[in-house]
Amino acid sequence: MRTYNEELKFVEKSGPCGYHIRKGFVDNMKVEGYFYANKALEKLMFDELKQSCNSKGFGGFLPGMKQIANVAALPGIVGRSIGLPDVHSGYGFAIGNIAAFDMSDPKSVVSPGGVGFDINCGVRLLRTNLHLRDVEGLKEQLAQCLFDHIPVGVGSKGIIPMTAQNLEEALEMGMDWSLREGYAWAEDKEHCEEYGRMLQADPSKVSSRAKKRGLPQLGTLGAGNHYAEIQVVEEIYDKYAAKKMGVDFKDQVCVMIHSGSRGMGHQVATDALVAMEKAMKRDQIDVNDRQLACAHIQSVEGQDYLKAMASAANYAWVNRTSMTFLTRQAFAKMFNSTPDDLDMHVIYDVSHNIAKVEEHFIDGKQKTLLVHRKGSTRAFPPHHPLIPVDYQLTGQPVLIGGTMGTCSYVLTGTDQGMVETFGTTCHGAGRALSRAKSRRNLDYTDVLSALANQGISIRIASPKLVMEEAPESYKNVTDVVDTCHEAGISKKCIKLRPIAVIKG
Amino acid sequence: MFKRKLLALDFPDADIVDIKDDQKFRSLVVWLEDQKIRHLKIEDRDPLRNLQGEEWLKVLQTYLIGLNCPYNSTERQAVTDWLLGYAVRLEYGDGVDKYKNVTPEKFQELKTKQAGASSNPLDNLDFNSPEFRAGITSLAMMLQIPPYQDHLEVLKAICTVIEERFSLESMAAAKKSTEQLNKEKDEFIPLDKTELGFDAGDIIMTETAKILRLLHLHDLRDLQTKINTAIVKVQEITANPKTDSRLGKVGR
Repeated sequence: MRTYNEELKFVEKSGPCGYHIRKGFVDNMKVEGYFYANKALEKLMFDELKQSCNSKGFGGFLPGMKQIANVAALPGIVGRSIGLPDVHSGYGFAIGNIAAFDMSDPKSVVSPGGVGFDINCGVRLLRTNLHLRDVEGLKEQLAQCLFDHIPVGVGSKGIIPMTAQNLEEALEMGMDWSLREGYAWAEDKEHCEEYGRMLQADPSKVSSRAKKRGLPQLGTLGAGNHYAEIQVVEEIYDKYAAKKMGVDFKDQVCVMIHSGSRGMGHQVATDALVAMEKAMKRDQIDVNDRQLACAHIQSVEGQDYLKAMASAANYAWVNRTSMTFLTRQAFAKMFNSTPDDLDMHVIYDVSHNIAKVEEHFIDGKQKTLLVHRKGSTRAFPPHHPLIPVDYQLTGQPVLIGGTMGTCSYVLTGTDQGMVETFGTTCHGAGRALSRAKSRRNLDYTDVLSALANQGISIRIASPKLVMEEAPESYKNVTDVVDTCHEAGISKKCIKLRPIAVIKG
Repeated sequence: MFKRKLLALDFPDADIVDIKDDQKFRSLVVWLEDQKIRHLKIEDRDPLRNLQGEEWLKVLQTYLIGLNCPYNSTERQAVTDWLLGYAVRLEYGDGVDKYKNVTPEKFQELKTKQAGASSNPLDNLDFNSPEFRAGITSLAMMLQIPPYQDHLEVLKAICTVIEERFSLESMAAAKKSTEQLNKEKDEFIPLDKTELGFDAGDIIMTETAKILRLLHLHDLRDLQTKINTAIVKVQEITANPKTDSRLGKVGR
């Protein structure tokens, strides 16, 4: 066991807001590690490492830096293992870690830990043509109305009737199912990452247990850090890009929905981890951390996982689409209008936890890679063929959900991000305190009254857990976003602040 | 064979007359006598009408002599031609006034008129005539379209400009956006602030590449709109969204 000062020899500052993690920091590193952090964020990273050294590695997850390095030791990894400014420890992979594996290398792996348990957890932003003054008087009722339409919390059940057959179709078709059934607009599909459907989905690879968990939960928000927020535009940094997104003026009302694949995705990940542990023994895959269970991409377990993951991703899109439908209904009811007249279009929909096959340049050569994005958002630059035509000139919109009660951001993708981070940027604030620590240190009544003081209406299923999601438990989202902007891996476009929150 | 004469006489099935076939030859002769020549009295035509009769060739010989035909009944081709010619002469004699005005020029004119009526008059334009070229050039100047060697390409450009800028819909849309523009001056992004995404070498090539890229985006947008329209049409058949608030349950 090395001391903290010995560890520091492997970490070297590079550029204004980045750090290299040299080979040797952990065993078997195939590539270097790298992470982005500004002054405030780097302190968190180094403190975490120091603490782990002092406690001789006992207790909790490994520090984020170690996790980034362990991922750099996985077979088939190319480029480097990258931590974004919001990186924090997670299961196996740190949350906010990107790793890409060469599809043409038979040794390359896919790891459920690199995707995360909440498969295709993501954020969707709807715009309206309403002004803050249109909703101010109605805020409480509007929050209640949304709360009535969108069931929240652990064990919640959705109000869209689903049969087992419906679910099979939804898993296979993703948003195309929602379109067929009339829950979505044609334009919603256009403005969704992957057009709301992963074609390699195969519902037969999803266990019946996972389906059973998913069936009643469709159209529900869930718990944890998921939320639906009514927000207003606080600042526009890039007027032209904002205009392309239909955001024209300050105090314009938007709705942000942050949710994922609920119990269904969790079960898919759990099933895959069990299957892969066996495959690792058989194929003699060595990893530094047991939590980094993985399988060769081309193995049966690897393929089965990717197909099941795609199905869970489709589920998540149907889920967010269903909540979009319910939000439109709630707004139409409150304002005695139609969603059309309220111009409630989807600006964009991004995925946070997903692995995708993409084309990238490595040392000047085009390669097909399996890019794992865990707690990170795809941020493709202008003119990339996989982004919607409306955003070809601005770059892909990247939606950064803040924590409850703090602001959120819309960024756009850049060419530099394409070069440095496989076209990826941060996903949110990133946890700074563990859930348990938050519960110990904070009082839920303080958290609620702080929100009330900011004039934010809140509807919440389990108020006693609210301190887990308090702003104090998270990194400062503005620090995170500013670091991404400064590093050039994405560009600030719009800042939003919440006026009402619905949470599990 | 004999098609033109047969057509002039309004003979049915003018295309399929085969005088080598006995039956068809005989039928033709009977038809000519019945409809056009009318040399014999109706009651005297019976022997001629008896197509199967063994005496028919003799009857024909007698008939031809009666008409002062210079040919023998065995010279089938010559006889047919002469009979047809005779019938045409008689037909003309019946309507001299009607036919004497027909001159080759007038006939040509008639033909053009008929063609014009049945299809697009533009088809008969001479696209390479100097007048046509001049017309395109002046239209292009009016619409501020830069000159190009192939005047047909210029015509295409003119069509696009008119469709996109001067149709009723686009005029209405333009009016609306001008009103908006007056409110907000920065609606459009200037070309030099548009990012191309790569370097095309010199400034002129870069500008050109930018313009091409924008045109391509325009086409893509068009395609996406068509896709959306198609989806909406299918939705009209399949969509039936339902909600049932009794199913809802708030968790902890």
